[in-house]
Amino acid sequence: MSKLTRRGFLEAGSAVLAGAVAATGVGGCASMMGETQPTGRRRVVVIGGGWGGATAAKYVRMGDPSIEVVLLEPNRQFISCPFSNLVLAGLRNIESLSFNYEGLSRRGVQVRHEMALAVEPDTKRVRLAGGYLSYDRLIVSPGVDFQWEQVEGLPAAKETVLHAWKAGPQTVQLARQIQAMPDGGVFVISVPPVAYRCPPGPYERISMVAWYLKANKPKSKVIVLDANQNIVSKTALFREAWKAYPNIDYRATNKVVAVDPGAREVRTEFDRVKYDVLNLIPPQRAGQIAVDAGLTGADNRWCEVNHVTYESVKQPNIHVIGDATTGLPVPKSGNVANNMGKISAIAVVALLGDKPVPLLAPGNTCYSWVSNTEAIAVVNAYKIEGGKVVQIEQRLTPAQHASVAARAQGWTQSIWHDVIG
Amino acid sequence: MSTICRLAVVALAGFAPALLAGSAWAQGPASRMGPFDTPLAKVITCAACHGVNGNSRSDAMPIIAGMDAAYIKKQVETYAAGGRPSPEMGPYSKQVLDIGVDQVAAFFAGQKMEPTPVKVDAAAVERGRAAAAVCVACHGPAGKGDPARGIPSLAGQAPGFLRDQIRLFKQDARNPGDAALIALKAIMKTVPDERIPDLAAYYSSLR
Repeated sequence: MSKLTRRGFLEAGSAVLAGAVAATGVGGCASMMGETQPTGRRRVVVIGGGWGGATAAKYVRMGDPSIEVVLLEPNRQFISCPFSNLVLAGLRNIESLSFNYEGLSRRGVQVRHEMALAVEPDTKRVRLAGGYLSYDRLIVSPGVDFQWEQVEGLPAAKETVLHAWKAGPQTVQLARQIQAMPDGGVFVISVPPVAYRCPPGPYERISMVAWYLKANKPKSKVIVLDANQNIVSKTALFREAWKAYPNIDYRATNKVVAVDPGAREVRTEFDRVKYDVLNLIPPQRAGQIAVDAGLTGADNRWCEVNHVTYESVKQPNIHVIGDATTGLPVPKSGNVANNMGKISAIAVVALLGDKPVPLLAPGNTCYSWVSNTEAIAVVNAYKIEGGKVVQIEQRLTPAQHASVAARAQGWTQSIWHDVIG
Repeated sequence: MSTICRLAVVALAGFAPALLAGSAWAQGPASRMGPFDTPLAKVITCAACHGVNGNSRSDAMPIIAGMDAAYIKKQVETYAAGGRPSPEMGPYSKQVLDIGVDQVAAFFAGQKMEPTPVKVDAAAVERGRAAAAVCVACHGPAGKGDPARGIPSLAGQAPGFLRDQIRLFKQDARNPGDAALIALKAIMKTVPDERIPDLAAYYSSLR
């Protein structure tokens, strides 16, 4: 590693003062060795290859193949959070939710499986371990990170207390723990305070685990410690579905504030609850890189964006999409992230081509399984009015039904292809 | 990263406001907005269920690529008016009307239809072929329909979707009171429930 001398640093500072923002002066820093991929073309860099980012990368290429698109995603597989609760009930395996990024590569997206270390908005660069990547426009789809510090004892136990809120190894581990739990054991799940990724997700998970335990461990029960005052989404439909699950002990306004893995106990503001298997879903905020890049608001939690372009209100030329955003009347769902990916891509293509940005609103389709055969859904349609996203209508399925489950399956087949195919 | 290097980054970051002053950002992105002009933009919410370019690969969601534009428009308007029951298309039809149904319909009508990849049982197809004799008068011997009369093609359509629609017609839950569909519903009432999957399999198998 080469060292930046005091003189070198002063020179670097001079270069900055002179307005030479190409900043060859900081090239002496080993972690900023230089442009890792020199290009003469316009370039869009996308951080995060989840529902939003993968879609955005693909649609920029579809919108204008002359634009170079680099997608930065450390994971080699895209694993779908939607449908991952079925893994906990033994109804699907994680492999059936896992996809590689070859589809995007075939569309000309340059997929680099590495971590974006930092964003430098003023120089329009993303810093990587081996240097940096310049961009003309940056799309940040960072997902969520957890606020471990909000639960006493959790920072020290975060490797063993499972959230399974990012589909992957923890999903499989939690499924194994549930399967290994003795009949009569207690499964405790905590629901974080809003806002969090996938509002109905915890309640679908509760349904799936309750279904599994009812069928396989009839003496076991599910204790739900919900930080919120009521079921957050599809309330009446979940209440109806849970009539089939007397093994659910739902406790509203029971925020988990501490965990003690040694004593196998969680503490709420009022109570102590013993568990055999714990699924603690921590409070959430935008992915760390968004916080570090100054894209979050005063709460240091979520990112406010323009409702038409998804450009950050904090930093120019940087667009933020997916669960990390706030201010739009939309849930933090995969469907919305997918739609934001497309809309931001179309906006970026238009802006780079110096053309008008189309006025496009996302939509939300969200299915939740409530048994091995039946599902429920909520659908939200939106429009743009006065430059803002406003809801046209929300509709719920009248009841749980196998036909809704069939459409849920259909939705995954189509949307997974739309995101990653 | 060394401390001194961090300092350099901080120094750079400190100049961000000065850089902004002369950029397009200062005018605000709102000044650059206008009506959308790319075909891709018209259908962004549709692909999540109907597939890219309207070629759904699933059993339950219909393929709308290559469908007659007037037929698509009529269905969107019917969903929005409540004539076709669907928790999904109820709201989305209103979004399509907001975007511009003529543009959306024209886009999908202009796409090449790819028949469903969903496999069906060969015996069911044969039973469906025999049962389809009553359907031929309107949908034609190849199941291609007649756009001029507002009759859709069924050939290669997703079988799960066809099953659902036959049931909805039989129960008079789709387009209740639509005079143009009285004859169709009368025929559907004569189809035994166990024959519905066969009819769906047959039409989905046609190319």
